[in-house]
Amino acid sequence: MHWPHFQEKGPFMHQTRVSHLLLPALLGALPLGAWADGGPALALANTLNGADTAWLMVSTALVLLMTLPGIALFYGGMVRQINVINTMASVVGIAAVVSVLWFAVAYSLAFTPGSADLGAFIGGLQRMGFSGLEYLGSAGQVAVSHVAPHVPESVFSMFQLTFAIITCALVVGALVERMHFGALLGFASLWLLLVYAPIAHWVWEPSGWLAKLGALDFAGGAVVHINAGAAALVVAYALGPRTGYGREPFIPFNLGLTMAGTGLLWVGWFGFNAGSALAADGRAGLAMAVTHLAAAAGAMAWMAAEWLARRRASLLGLCSGVVAGLVAITPAAGFVTLRGALVIGLVAGVACYWGATALKRWLRADDSLDVFGVHGVGGLVGALLTGVLADPAISGVQASVAAQLVACVAVLGYSVVMTTVVLWITSRFVSLRVSEEQERTGLDLALHNEQLGH
Amino acid sequence: MSPSDLFGIAAHMHVLLRRKTGRVTDTEWMACNAEYAREIARFARERARVDGHVELLVWAEKLESAIATLAPAPRKPLVQSAAEALRAGQVQPVPGPEDATAQAKYIGRLR
Repeated sequence: MHWPHFQEKGPFMHQTRVSHLLLPALLGALPLGAWADGGPALALANTLNGADTAWLMVSTALVLLMTLPGIALFYGGMVRQINVINTMASVVGIAAVVSVLWFAVAYSLAFTPGSADLGAFIGGLQRMGFSGLEYLGSAGQVAVSHVAPHVPESVFSMFQLTFAIITCALVVGALVERMHFGALLGFASLWLLLVYAPIAHWVWEPSGWLAKLGALDFAGGAVVHINAGAAALVVAYALGPRTGYGREPFIPFNLGLTMAGTGLLWVGWFGFNAGSALAADGRAGLAMAVTHLAAAAGAMAWMAAEWLARRRASLLGLCSGVVAGLVAITPAAGFVTLRGALVIGLVAGVACYWGATALKRWLRADDSLDVFGVHGVGGLVGALLTGVLADPAISGVQASVAAQLVACVAVLGYSVVMTTVVLWITSRFVSLRVSEEQERTGLDLALHNEQLGH
Repeated sequence: MSPSDLFGIAAHMHVLLRRKTGRVTDTEWMACNAEYAREIARFARERARVDGHVELLVWAEKLESAIATLAPAPRKPLVQSAAEALRAGQVQPVPGPEDATAQAKYIGRLR
């Protein structure tokens, strides 16, 4: 996430951090003394940028649209008919749980500076307990985040929430058709707090250690896609393969839904990437253009790879190629030119095809809808190529392949380890997997007592 | 046993056999023809023994208990049965080799 106006747009009113900002925070139960310099604060409302605010609000809606219904349709179309409702319910349930936890805890952990000792790794408590986001119309003041002081904090935090929602929802693709609904919601809650929030803090909060290292991640190649891909792989291993996997045909319910989901993802990604400029400016425009080009290049590359390997150009392949290109351009969107985006899209299309076919077979995990193969591999390709192709003339930032590599390894490793821990904790309270009979019946009927019409 | 219970057992057996053995059966016929149902139960027992599908054994027993309540089906000429089925629109096309290939594509992989 970039913060273009951080330096040039003021006044940034750290000094106006008044006590009434915290009053809603659990009636003063939070440790006020824990505030570090440079956190969210009140600013004069007339210092906000209207155009930037409007664009960020639109982007927020676009990114939410990627999940609801984008991911729900994308995944729902690929599972068997008896599990479509469960898959969609999983996405909606995650969106609800993550939203509440975001304002309760996670936003503060991710996007406040934290203490002097731990600030590089985790945020503080300033915004816990649904506090902050004030709009004091009579006083002409509004809360802003230090990360984006030119837009209301309410908009910034909502924008970031939609990223948290989609990251958690992406993992669903690896666990469909066999995980308990309750266990999934418990897992997603813990995962948000213990995995997503810290990693978002490392990369996107200015005091995070990867941000300080110079790792570039414009819109979430590492935070969203490598993270979700790694977690998906761990969950797939932990749950084991679906009953009958490798012996029975698992026919997708309706690839038309998957195509509709892909369309929503493609359009929504304009908010994801161009919105991550946090401004309605030239850089956002470039981010939108490179996003579109990379998606197209990804589709062409996947199609070519599939044609060479199987003499077919499938609809699912085209959709997957689009997503591969979009994933890979995500970390690079505010740093590369159109030519760079073309390269990233083409490489990602081929790499993700390999990830969803040969690598998947080699890994021997039932990552059911290829979350690691597309998001994990695409995120790694994009993050590393950002180090190679970033143009300093665009952002004024010199990229480093070494820093990108460190970020990839750190996010991948942390996500793998902590996802394992989160799954273990969840399994102490509830069974992760449904019974074989429930699996055979289908999770729609077995868990939700609902069924698709014919 | 009510006809709907019997039909439910037959439907479950149909799904199990399709999934475990690939054998396609006629659910409606199984629920009304004792001879056919007994043969299906025998087949399910055999496959349970050979392939180790315990679930098939359980449902074979249920099916055999259920068909004990069935009266022998009145015999109808084949032409008459076919004509009735056609009028009712119940004739399902037999899956051809292309369908089988398409389904096999999704064994162990999505793409």
